Amino acid sequence: MTEAFDDDFNLSELDDQELVTQMHDDLYDGLKDEIVEGTEILLDRGWGAEKVLNEALVGGMQIVGVDFRDGILFVPEVLLAANAMKGGMGVLKPLLAETGVKPIGKMVIGTVKGDIHDIGKNLVGMMMEGAGFEVIDIGINNSVDEYLAALEEHQPDILGLSALLTTTMPYMKVVIDELVKRNLRSQYIVMVGGAPLNEEFGAAVGADAYCRDAAEAAAQATRLIEARRSANA
Amino acid sequence: MDKPGRRRSGGRSSRVAARQASAADALVTHIDRGIPYFDVLNEEALALIEHNAETVLEEIGIDFKDAPDALALWRNAGAVIEGERVRPPRGLCRELLKTAPKEFTQHARNPARSTIIGGDRTVLAPAYGSPFVRDLDRGRRYATIEDFRNFVKLTYINQGLHHSGGTVCEPVDLPVNKRHFDMVYSHIKYSDKPFMGSVTHPERAQDTVDMAKIVFGDAFVQDHCVTTSLINVNSPMTFDATMLGSARVYAENNQATIISPFILAGAMSPVTVAGTLTQILAEALAGMAYTQLVRPGAPVIFGTFASAISMQSGAPTFGTPEPSLVLLGAASLARRLGIPFRSGGGLCASKVADAQAAYESANTLQAAAFAGVNFMLHTAGWLEGGLVMSYEKFVMDADQANMIAVFLKGIDLSENGQAMDALREIGPGAHFLGATHTQNNFEKAFYRSTMADNNSFEQWQEDGALDAEKRANMRWKAQLNDYEAPPLDVAIDEALLEFMARRKSASADQDY
Repeated sequence: MTEAFDDDFNLSELDDQELVTQMHDDLYDGLKDEIVEGTEILLDRGWGAEKVLNEALVGGMQIVGVDFRDGILFVPEVLLAANAMKGGMGVLKPLLAETGVKPIGKMVIGTVKGDIHDIGKNLVGMMMEGAGFEVIDIGINNSVDEYLAALEEHQPDILGLSALLTTTMPYMKVVIDELVKRNLRSQYIVMVGGAPLNEEFGAAVGADAYCRDAAEAAAQATRLIEARRSANA
Repeated sequence: MDKPGRRRSGGRSSRVAARQASAADALVTHIDRGIPYFDVLNEEALALIEHNAETVLEEIGIDFKDAPDALALWRNAGAVIEGERVRPPRGLCRELLKTAPKEFTQHARNPARSTIIGGDRTVLAPAYGSPFVRDLDRGRRYATIEDFRNFVKLTYINQGLHHSGGTVCEPVDLPVNKRHFDMVYSHIKYSDKPFMGSVTHPERAQDTVDMAKIVFGDAFVQDHCVTTSLINVNSPMTFDATMLGSARVYAENNQATIISPFILAGAMSPVTVAGTLTQILAEALAGMAYTQLVRPGAPVIFGTFASAISMQSGAPTFGTPEPSLVLLGAASLARRLGIPFRSGGGLCASKVADAQAAYESANTLQAAAFAGVNFMLHTAGWLEGGLVMSYEKFVMDADQANMIAVFLKGIDLSENGQAMDALREIGPGAHFLGATHTQNNFEKAFYRSTMADNNSFEQWQEDGALDAEKRANMRWKAQLNDYEAPPLDVAIDEALLEFMARRKSASADQDY
C-alpha cells in the first residue's frame, strides 16, 4: 500500500486552483467520493460543467494517462482513477446535456459473435471512460443485429469491436459490411482491437482505426472525434 | 574387447554419411523419465490447495455457459445447479474422475509412432494457435495454410517432437467454417505422428472424428484414442458452449481432451501462486469430471497454461518465476490425482528469436521438464505470447527438445556408465581422449546441439559470423527442402479428399 498522507482536510476550504490541483491528486489516487465532492463544490462556486470537466477531470486523467504509459501507475490504480472520473462524470452529465455542451463522445463497445473474451474490451472501456467518453458496453458474443440495435438505441460516435480469437476476428468484417450495406457506415467511427489483429487487418475489414492497446484506443478515439468535428464544423 | 580404429570401416565416405545422418532417423515416441520429480509443495501444502479448490467448487461454483445438456448431467450427478452455475459438492469431482485413465495410448496412423500419455513419460508437441508467422526473410505476417503445412512437415522431421500438435498456426487465408478440414488433413497427409483435432465448433470436432474414422476405421476409433484436443477454460471459472460442445463430442467418441485453465494471473486468477493453483485445480476438476459424466473412461488430461500479466500494462509475461511455481505446483496436484498433466512449452513474450526469447523459453521448458509434464504443447516455435509461430525459433526449440530428452533420461549407472575402466586405464595426469572407454562411447556421450556454434572466433567469422537466428534460418529451409512425405494409403487419401469436398460443398464459406 502507498503510504497514507495526511488527508484530514476539508476540500471546500481550498481555493479554486488548490481544489483543482487536489482533484488531480485525488483522481490519481482513485478517490471517487472526493472527486464527486470536488465536482459539486466547483459547480456550487459557479463553475460551468464544461470547465469542471476539462480542467478538473480531463486534466487530471491526462496525468494518469501519461504515468500509465510510462509504467509508473499500474493497471489496478488506473482502474480506480477511471472509476473516480466516472463518479465526477455522473454529476456533470445531466448538466452538460442541459447546457447543450457537446460531450467528449459516446462509444458502443462489444466483443463479436462467437467470442466471449472481454478482459481487453473492459480495459478499453475503462480507459475510454477515463478519457471522459461515455461508454455503453454491450458485452460479449454480439451478432450484427445486436450491434445494430445498440447503435440505433444509443446513437454513439464510436463503435468498438473486440475479438481475441482468430476464428472470431473475421466477424468484424461482417459487422462493418452490414453497416456499409445499410448506408450507416459513415455515421460512426469504427475502432477494432484484439490480440490477433494488426494494422493491416483493421484496414482490410474497413475500420477507421486498429488500437493495439487500451491507452492507444483512448488516444485514437480522442483524435478521431476531434478530426471528425473539425471536418464537420 | 574390440580395438576401435584397428578395423576397416569404409573410410571417409561411410563415416561422412553416418555422421551427417540426423539423430532424426531414430524413431522415438516419448521420453521415459529417469529422474525424480521436483516438488515445490509438501504434503501439507498440497492438501491445503486441494481443500481450498473443493471449497471453490462447493461454495463459488463454475459456470457452464449455454450448455443445458451439461447442466443436466451435473444435476443428475448431484451437483447444485443455480442458473448456469454448477456447484459440485466436496469430493464429487474426484469421485467422478476415478474412471479416468492414469495413462493412455494415442494411436498414430503409423503404429510405430503411437505414443503413451501419462505416467513417467513426456510427449513433446509444437506450439499451437498463433495467427501470425515470422521468418527472417519475410518478417511477421498472417499465417496461411501453406505455413500450416510447413510446420506440420517441420514437426514431422524433428524427431524430438513426438506429436504433430494441432493448430500449429491459424490458416487465416481459409474460411473460418472450413479451415479445420485442411488442418486435420495436413496432419494426416504430411505426417504420421499423432495429432490434435478441431475445437472451434462441436461440428468441427465431429468432422475431426469422422476424418479419423476414415484413417483408422470406425470400430477402432470407438475403442482407441486417435486424437487429443485442447479444451480451454475461459478462466476465471467459466466454460463456454464452444469448448463444452467440442469436449462432449470428443469424450462421446472416446477421444482425449486436455482441460486447460488458461491463466494470465492477475487478470484471470488471483495474483498469488497459491490462489492461482487453487483456481486451476477447481477449474480442471470440474472440466475433467464433465468428460467422465459424458463418457466414463474417456481419456482426459489435466492442463495448465500459466502466465502472469504485467500489472503496469496488462500485457502477458512469460518465463517469470511465479508461473514456473504454478506449473510445478499444478504438476504435483495432477500426479496426486492420477491424471496425465499438460503444461509448459517454449513460452516467451519476445517479438524475435533473441536473448529474451531464449531466456524466457528456457525457463519454462526447464520448469516443465523438472515438473514431469506428460504432454508439452508449445514446445517449439512460440514467440510473442503465442501470437507468432517463428520458423527460426522452431528449429532452435527443437534442439532444446532433444536436450530435454537426454536430461530427463537421467544418469547411466551401468558398468559402462560408471567408467571405472577408463579411470583405471588413464590414471593421474593424462587425458581421456584416447582411452578405450572414450573410443567406445564418444559419439553418443554428449548431446550435440544442432544450433549452437562452439567454434573458435576465427572459424565462426570465416563461416560468415552467423548468429543463431541466421543459422536457424538455414536449418529450417534445409529441413523443408529435404522433407519427404510419409506414405499414405491412396484409398484413404482419396476417401479423405472426397469427405472434405462433400462437407465443404454442404455450406457457404463463412467468416465465423
